[in-house]
Amino acid sequence: MKKTNKFLTIAMFVFLYAPMAVLIVASFNTGKDITDFEGFTLQQYVRLFQDKNLLSLLGNSLLVSILASLCATVFGTVAAVGIHNLNPKLRKTVLSLTNIPMTNPDIVTGVSLSLLFIFVGSQMLGAKESLNFWTLLIAHVTFNLPYVILNVMPKLQQMDVSLTDAAMDLGCTPLQAFFKVTIPEITPGILAGGIMAFTMSLDDFVISYFVTGLDFVTLPVKIYSETKKPIQPKIYAMFTLLFGLIFVLMLTMNLLQISADKKKKQQRVKVESKAMRTFKRVAALAAVVAMLVGAGFALIPSRQETITLNVYNWGQNIADGSDDTMDIIAEFERRYPNIKVNYSTYDSNETLYTKLSNGGITVDVIIPSDYMIARMIQEDMLLELNFDNIPNYQYVDDTFRNRDYDPENKYSVPYTWGTVGIIYNTKFVDEADVAKGWEVLWNEKYDDKILMFDNSRDAIGIAQYMLGYSVNTTDEAQLRECADLLAKQKPLLQQYVMDQVYDLMENEVAWIAPYYAGDCMMMMESNENLAFYLPEDQGFNLFVDAMCIPKCCQEKGAAELFINFLCDPEISGANMDYICYGSPISEARQHMDPSLAESPIVYPSPEVQTNGTSYSYLPEEVSRYVEGLFMRVRNS
Amino acid sequence: MKKNNALLLSTPYIVWMVVFTLIPLGVVGYYALTDPQTGAFSLGNLKELGIYMPVLWESILYSLISAFICLLLGYPVAYYIAHCKPVTQKLLYMLVMLPMCMSFLLRTLAWVGLLQDTGIINRVLEAIGIGRLQLIRTPGAVILGMVYNYLPYMILPLYATIVKIDKRLIEAAEDLGCTPVQTFSKVVLPLSVPGILSGITMVFVPAVSTFYISQKLGGTDTVLIGDVIERQFKQGNNPNLGAALSLVLMILVFVCTGIMNRFGGDEEGGVIV
Repeated sequence: MKKTNKFLTIAMFVFLYAPMAVLIVASFNTGKDITDFEGFTLQQYVRLFQDKNLLSLLGNSLLVSILASLCATVFGTVAAVGIHNLNPKLRKTVLSLTNIPMTNPDIVTGVSLSLLFIFVGSQMLGAKESLNFWTLLIAHVTFNLPYVILNVMPKLQQMDVSLTDAAMDLGCTPLQAFFKVTIPEITPGILAGGIMAFTMSLDDFVISYFVTGLDFVTLPVKIYSETKKPIQPKIYAMFTLLFGLIFVLMLTMNLLQISADKKKKQQRVKVESKAMRTFKRVAALAAVVAMLVGAGFALIPSRQETITLNVYNWGQNIADGSDDTMDIIAEFERRYPNIKVNYSTYDSNETLYTKLSNGGITVDVIIPSDYMIARMIQEDMLLELNFDNIPNYQYVDDTFRNRDYDPENKYSVPYTWGTVGIIYNTKFVDEADVAKGWEVLWNEKYDDKILMFDNSRDAIGIAQYMLGYSVNTTDEAQLRECADLLAKQKPLLQQYVMDQVYDLMENEVAWIAPYYAGDCMMMMESNENLAFYLPEDQGFNLFVDAMCIPKCCQEKGAAELFINFLCDPEISGANMDYICYGSPISEARQHMDPSLAESPIVYPSPEVQTNGTSYSYLPEEVSRYVEGLFMRVRNS
Repeated sequence: MKKNNALLLSTPYIVWMVVFTLIPLGVVGYYALTDPQTGAFSLGNLKELGIYMPVLWESILYSLISAFICLLLGYPVAYYIAHCKPVTQKLLYMLVMLPMCMSFLLRTLAWVGLLQDTGIINRVLEAIGIGRLQLIRTPGAVILGMVYNYLPYMILPLYATIVKIDKRLIEAAEDLGCTPVQTFSKVVLPLSVPGILSGITMVFVPAVSTFYISQKLGGTDTVLIGDVIERQFKQGNNPNLGAALSLVLMILVFVCTGIMNRFGGDEEGGVIV
């Protein structure tokens, strides 16, 4: 019996620690792939410490968790003393109130707080940015408080009531009695509650995910948006360091406590052993140091008088300096040193729209596609641009001006254009099957190797091309038929994806996917087995993505400067070299790598283009209907 | 005097909790009962809930299975730890706690690396001649992810209960002629019921509402209620339906924990980890 238990315990620890070991090993890997150890290197650690963004995210996380746990500890201890002295009936009510955030699922807590902040902040008070650092802090304090209360309350119950009475009989004021008698008695509970609150806060993802805006983001939230793409190995390096740190901290705490317990047994008279006192001092010192470090990290960016420009763009949609390309944002910041770009990404027009229409955030520049721009103009979500501030607009080709989505060209400046086609792996997929067109995404031969768009418009669009309907239909029966077709496809699919397509196609986990041509080119650059096919006979989507300034913008001048910068033909060309899309600026083509500038995938010929169609504006009810249909296919 | 002090000290807290836990739930209710487009009162969201009921049942099923597996795996471990020397107990307890402090996202991602079609486990299987298996994107993978992530939440309350069981009771049972199996089933197990119930709740609640585990380890047919809620808020542009679904999830969880508390007898504070 005992032996089996021992064996099971060891097996359980292997089970708990094996995945973490995988991450730790991956942090020393020269390659990017977690499953393939290519060679030993410490390079990831160097990269980690060079990455100011990542470090400042860690700083953000530390700042929030330290502040929140400190507030919760002080506030919670005071409250616990109060609750302890309430009459039993009231105490029970208050304790059940305390239990709400404990028993409520995190997602419900997150959703309810975000709705509260948006409802009160944006709708009632009219604040532009109601999801910010302070709301995040409030949320963290709220879910931390119960941990403190539930750790302090039992200590208060265990405490001998006559102790405080004795102190007061001996001449203490109630306040003195509280600080000299009660506090020392309940310190272990306070410490335990505080530490628990801190760790919960540091690792919280779900609640933070719902209550953060774009400008103050914690590390777990960032990691979530990063893990949609192939994850950067420096994150594993950070994991390893944190693991080591927490392991050492917990171990020292335990060892100190063990030796304190031993000493306590030997000399009962002394209430506080020497080791315990050292431990407390060490703990206090560590807390102070951690706080200063955290505050330091958080303050680094705000030290200078700078403007923060919030840019919200598609994932993988700007040259970032990798593979010998230009780091566009760094270049912009170099030219305009007083502007700091806070860059975040979304994975579909629908995600962008949802984020903006939910409200509560500040964004200065967005890059939606044509149909979404039309919708945003229609719903009064965009600001008119001042073209005097965007002189480089002169380079934009005439064919990309005054398009249907923005007929008077008041709200948008085109960024890229491209097509939607099929990317497939030539090693596994028969060219003849692909040549049949969109049907290949329904081909049972490739069961579980097919990916599909995870956004309503593109997914329904493919069904419309297959069924020969207009992609801009408002006919509900036709749309339902499309949804049925998608429902038929679902069992054959591996995943619905957006940015994750990179990881899955490049690593040959999936074989076929519909995706945007430029992104397909990028994938083809990293895996030579991949190829692109455009179903010209059935029709395909031809789109323009353009830069706009949403109503919630706070730095319009800087935003226009940024838009202007991206329209510089040289910059645009350098940018396209990385993102592999067609530039709406002809001159930019000359600055591009010739292999891309001549590629028929990047620049399809005018004849090919005639087979493509653009998505145009759908009335709001129809948009909602399409979204609802897709959600149902996707989720049930 | 004392009464007044008590009220004085606890009122700010009560106000805080009302404002930041009760009122938000009211706002969720408000969103659930309004139309996403017009903002007028509507029962449309509640009507649409029916479509997602199968997803809800599936989520409950998966999380109950996970909680049960956690109990089966966690009980012997908690029992073993509780019967170690005090120093060993402390260290093992720490080792169970440690994973809870590490990024839950990255740890789940490590499982993707392990279970993938071209992942570590499949490579090993291929090397020893068994060949690749479909591991990821199965219901089993989702349950595995839940068990892995929430196992410590089972072990800690179980340990806290088992370690408190008076050893003399076990000795007495043995002296009176119980076999080890009888001692366990008649003495130890009944006394560890509060820990079992608390453990099941602590695994069930996060498991039933997760969306990350199913997104990473599940396939297109393993959609959980958490996924649906997350998508309504993040890409589906329908926070109202999301709010209605959150409300259902919340009621479900409160009913479940209520039942658990009834079985376990209401101790003030319950078992805290």
